[in-house]
Amino acid sequence: MKDNPLSPHIQIYTWHVSSLVSISHRITGIINILAITLICIWFSTLLLGDDNYDSINFFMKTFFGKFLVIGIIWSFCFQGLSEIRHLIMDYGYGFEINTSKLTGLIVIFGSFLLTIIIYILGKSLV
Amino acid sequence: MKPVTKKWIFMKASSILLIPLMFWFILNLVGIYDQNYQNLTSFITSQPSKFLFCLFIVVSYFFSALSISEVFEDYIHNEKIKNAANKALYFSAIIIPFVTILAIFNLNT
Repeated sequence: MKDNPLSPHIQIYTWHVSSLVSISHRITGIINILAITLICIWFSTLLLGDDNYDSINFFMKTFFGKFLVIGIIWSFCFQGLSEIRHLIMDYGYGFEINTSKLTGLIVIFGSFLLTIIIYILGKSLV
Repeated sequence: MKPVTKKWIFMKASSILLIPLMFWFILNLVGIYDQNYQNLTSFITSQPSKFLFCLFIVVSYFFSALSISEVFEDYIHNEKIKNAANKALYFSAIIIPFVTILAIFNLNT
């Protein structure tokens, strides 16, 4: 284990769609677990009762609350689409340069499109 | 089977389970984030959302612990720091979902 090579630092590479998706996959993975931790704290505070929930409810209704939720949704969408791309690659597909570039672009633009669709769908379900 | 192969299989199995749970959760998050105390409590204490949310956080922390430990493996040089980081990661991946599930099961509608 001691002699395992470490990954070279990301700055030495020329940026490509694949590398952008790869590093964003890791970053959104970390953002997502922090977001889930926040959500766990949010749901646990419900135990404190109705009166103590008012300030959280007030924050959630502000622009920043909405921005935070939309940001979390985008991060989840990106991670979900990127994970599907990884699963397809695990089956041995999508390694050709053009296909990899195309699926990478689908993940990037698809995550924004999916965020809008999920927001509209979610609001219509209320 | 080598431990790393086992870890890879667990990661892939949990990601397959996590993808639909994640989309279920964010679709509902849009609907509940600005709701009042009663509506939010009734969402989280009624079935199937109670079961699905608990499953979602357990699978999320399991998957994240495995994938973040890969990031530690790639970027942390010092063995002692890496081990400490991994231990803290696995501990929080058990304790946070456990405490949250306990809180949800103690909520009254």
